[in-house]
Amino acid sequence: MKTTTLRGLGRVAAAGLLGALTALPASAASPIKVGLLLPSSGVFAGLGKDQDISFQMALEDFGDEVGGRKIVLVRADTESKPNSGLAAAKKLILRDRADVLVGVISSGVLGAVRDYVDGAKVPLIVTNAGNDDITGEKCSPWILRSSFSNDQIVREMGPWMARAGYKRVFLMAFDYAGGHQLMDSFRKGFVAAGGEIAGEEYPPLGETKDFGPYLAKLKAAEPDAAFVFFAGGPAIKFVKEYAAFGLKDTVKLAGPGWLTSALYVGKQGADAEGTLSILNYVPSIDSAENKGFQERFRAKHGRDASEFGVAAYDAARLVIEALQATGGATDDRQALVAAMHRVQFNGPRGPFRIDPATNNVIQNIYISEVEKIGDTYGAVVKEVRPNVQDAPNGCSKPF
Amino acid sequence: MRRDPLQIPTVVLLVLAMAAWWHGADFYVHEVLLSEIALFAMLAMSLDLLVGYAGMVSLGHAAFLGIGAYVTAGLTVFLGWPVALAMPASALVAGLAALVVGSFVVRLGGVFFIMITLAIGQMVYAYFLKAREFGADDGMSGIPRLDLSFLGLDTADPAVFSAVLLLAALAVYLLLRVVVRSPYGATLVAIHQNEGRVRALGCPVHRYKLGAYVLAAAIAGLAGSLTTQHSSFVSPDLAFWTVSGEVLIMVILGGGGSIVGAAIGACAFLVLKHWLSAGESWEALGLPTFMADHWQLVMGSLFVLVVLVAADGIYGRARRLLRRDGPQAG
Repeated sequence: MKTTTLRGLGRVAAAGLLGALTALPASAASPIKVGLLLPSSGVFAGLGKDQDISFQMALEDFGDEVGGRKIVLVRADTESKPNSGLAAAKKLILRDRADVLVGVISSGVLGAVRDYVDGAKVPLIVTNAGNDDITGEKCSPWILRSSFSNDQIVREMGPWMARAGYKRVFLMAFDYAGGHQLMDSFRKGFVAAGGEIAGEEYPPLGETKDFGPYLAKLKAAEPDAAFVFFAGGPAIKFVKEYAAFGLKDTVKLAGPGWLTSALYVGKQGADAEGTLSILNYVPSIDSAENKGFQERFRAKHGRDASEFGVAAYDAARLVIEALQATGGATDDRQALVAAMHRVQFNGPRGPFRIDPATNNVIQNIYISEVEKIGDTYGAVVKEVRPNVQDAPNGCSKPF
Repeated sequence: MRRDPLQIPTVVLLVLAMAAWWHGADFYVHEVLLSEIALFAMLAMSLDLLVGYAGMVSLGHAAFLGIGAYVTAGLTVFLGWPVALAMPASALVAGLAALVVGSFVVRLGGVFFIMITLAIGQMVYAYFLKAREFGADDGMSGIPRLDLSFLGLDTADPAVFSAVLLLAALAVYLLLRVVVRSPYGATLVAIHQNEGRVRALGCPVHRYKLGAYVLAAAIAGLAGSLTTQHSSFVSPDLAFWTVSGEVLIMVILGGGGSIVGAAIGACAFLVLKHWLSAGESWEALGLPTFMADHWQLVMGSLFVLVVLVAADGIYGRARRLLRRDGPQAG
């Protein structure tokens, strides 16, 4: 028994040592390594998976070989936690020698990896996390974003709702940095356009099992509309409870489009009907690029692609087209980022390009309403804000 | 006092193994694996003082890690303190917090102690999650590392900083060894074994337990300070109860009541975690790489297995085998 325990221990130690000694040297014909910095466990595991398969689909669509070098994916699990995310980024950079990093779902993880990625000078393309700082005050020459900034998504909604006749609006979001950021962006534009905030509530994140007490306050305030931010499981629950409270037909429900995301608007069903949303993508966008993209995605995965998938898909295209411009060269990372700044294409969302001043994406923003489409429900575009671009917001980022 | 002839050879072996690993390691191993092992070993060893010696099973140890981390972050980023001053301040504040909290929690035993430490840990987590001045759930970044340039050392170098962390872990071990071998440590063990009798002997039991609680918290605060220097970042999840749970698992895995066992537990846990969560390792075994996505499942199964074959942990089991006093012991 003693010897087996010791041998077991020895094996564990040997495994660790073996792992420690297997670092690969890079050469000209070596593959181009893209590190996917996504969660495969934790609260955002589902979104991580969605982005992973969408990235892979883009490699099939646009080619996974550039300049004789094959693009290979290396992965590390962020566990949706900041400290694990940082360790995962270090693994991709130090161990796997990734040429480019792609991913990051949560703003917490993005905040944790920001300084390290900036110091390591490895390009990171953010495919979800929307904290305004990362392409504002804390911007980095090495961090680009293919998804959105929180402010970019919602700032057009305030003036739009004020003009549409919703004069008193009630705000609600979970009590955390992202929730406050989105509500503050909305409030700024809405109040400037003459709107009035009828009240606001911030239920505790991760502890709210029942929106009842908050919906009662909303009802009592008698607003014209409610602007709320929830996503995932809580969004499904909120929309259903909102309808059950009888608010659906009296107080117009509106919010960033994650409230009725393509991933689950089907589950919300008739309760979501009439919800106003503002987002950078909805599956019903009427363009040849989007229709072709959705068709291929449906054929592969049997469901609509979501805004999360599109951000990863476009990030992959951005990487591939930039690599084509450099002839597959990755040694000069500064040139690679410069090539990314020059990439422009019409993707599923519409025109896509990276703003060299902030490194945030410039994209269309869609105001839509959930309607019955065939025998299911989906967001139908009402108005498009073309090429929405963020102000530098304190970003200055010389190489 | 328990005889433990295995202790010194194990420590020497562990130190030599770490030194050899450090010497042959690449950037990644320095920056991630060795540093994490050192930081968690400090935490696990300090928790072992509570769990293995005083019999206080705390599920809120990460609260003091979080407090220490935020004290260093706040003092260096907002007030521009040198890290060398922020570090003792972190240990001090964590210790003071433990003094306040401990003065009532040490009166509780068993499951009540577990529950109240869990609750207090979550309160600390909830505070930092909402504290906008500390960046709320986004956390804070830009925390500097200890400046050792007067020694000609650059702590930005992963090899240098991992060595600093490993030496700090060794220092924590030596400190705790002195404590547990002292009459004070013997009294803690006695309290663990029969609190009523020790109290009947006229010993101020609560004060003894409070002392252990404060010391363990101060070490956790120091580990927190080093953690935030290592990642140059701090966020509330450092204080989350799952971190406390992981540290407790390390203590149980390695074997409580020996200090060195906790360090072995931290090593084993982290090496396994990194190994199981890498696709390459599964490929090397000839198994599909998607297994890496399910590393937590494999880890959990292994943990169950260890508890079944060695309820007293890796070190406890080894020690028992050496003493040949049969499976009924421990």
